[in-house]
Amino acid sequence: MIRNIAGLMITAAAAAVLFAMAPGLDVPGELHGPAGYYVENGVEETGSVNLVTAIVVAYRGMDTLGEVVVLFSASTAVVLILTLIPMGSGPSRPSPVVELTARVLPGTITLFGIYVVTHGHLSPGGGFPGGAVVASSFLLVLLGTTGMPGSSRLLTAVESLAGISFGLMGFWGAMLLGQFLNSTVIPEGTPGRLVSAGLIPLISLAIGAKVASELSGVFASYRKKGGEA
Amino acid sequence: MSPELLAAIAAGTGVMMLAAAVAALTVKKLISAIIITGFVSLSASVLFFLMNAPDVAITEASIGAAASTVIFLWGRGRIGGDDQ
Repeated sequence: MIRNIAGLMITAAAAAVLFAMAPGLDVPGELHGPAGYYVENGVEETGSVNLVTAIVVAYRGMDTLGEVVVLFSASTAVVLILTLIPMGSGPSRPSPVVELTARVLPGTITLFGIYVVTHGHLSPGGGFPGGAVVASSFLLVLLGTTGMPGSSRLLTAVESLAGISFGLMGFWGAMLLGQFLNSTVIPEGTPGRLVSAGLIPLISLAIGAKVASELSGVFASYRKKGGEA
Repeated sequence: MSPELLAAIAAGTGVMMLAAAVAALTVKKLISAIIITGFVSLSASVLFFLMNAPDVAITEASIGAAASTVIFLWGRGRIGGDDQ
């Protein structure tokens, strides 16, 4: 009872703070500072039509590299902790509905994920969302079987290769243009084409492969330790 | 779609999401709470999409609605079914 009241009071206090801040959130008519600069020069400088990807991968590429490192350490920690836990009862045989769905859908979902990753510089998406979609299709495959599909060695290899190539592409810019993760070491090409925007699609691909393999590894180790569901 | 219609859909989704969040806290069975939590995430994904953030909507749908629901279900299987 006391716990409930305390929780309610904390929630009410947080809501009061948020509602008090809300009126200050009006959208400015004109963009200033970095935001205005990105909107004005983003497409021209990076060749990426999707400005979100241009900012995430090119202008703020260093933050993305940090994010990938954070994701790596988080998934490593999760898998490490899960190895300390004794085995669960193991998965029960999935129902025919789930089994059929897990046979039919994953191909389509994976294809969509790959599309989201490879067209990150053209349409909304990029490495993180696409990688998450590919990993969720792997999750569906896991739900449809009692065994363990694929090899964890392959997952680890893809993950390491993607991480290393992300870092190496950063150093490529540092060597040629004196700027770490500069995406224009190869020509930008025509904005709006699939092969354009310099290194951005390649970096997206590396991020997508890393996110997909990492999340798949985490799902697989959860599944090993989970009970029947 | 007109902005008014969009705002109405967004408001409706938001109210549904809030109602589902309260239901997830009050419902008796653990498995119902897990499924309702997944629905809250799905509503959040719809809201992101309506606010012109399709990339965030994709991430929320695959991680929030699919992956975390399944992980909760596996966890529930691990602790041995419904307790509350």
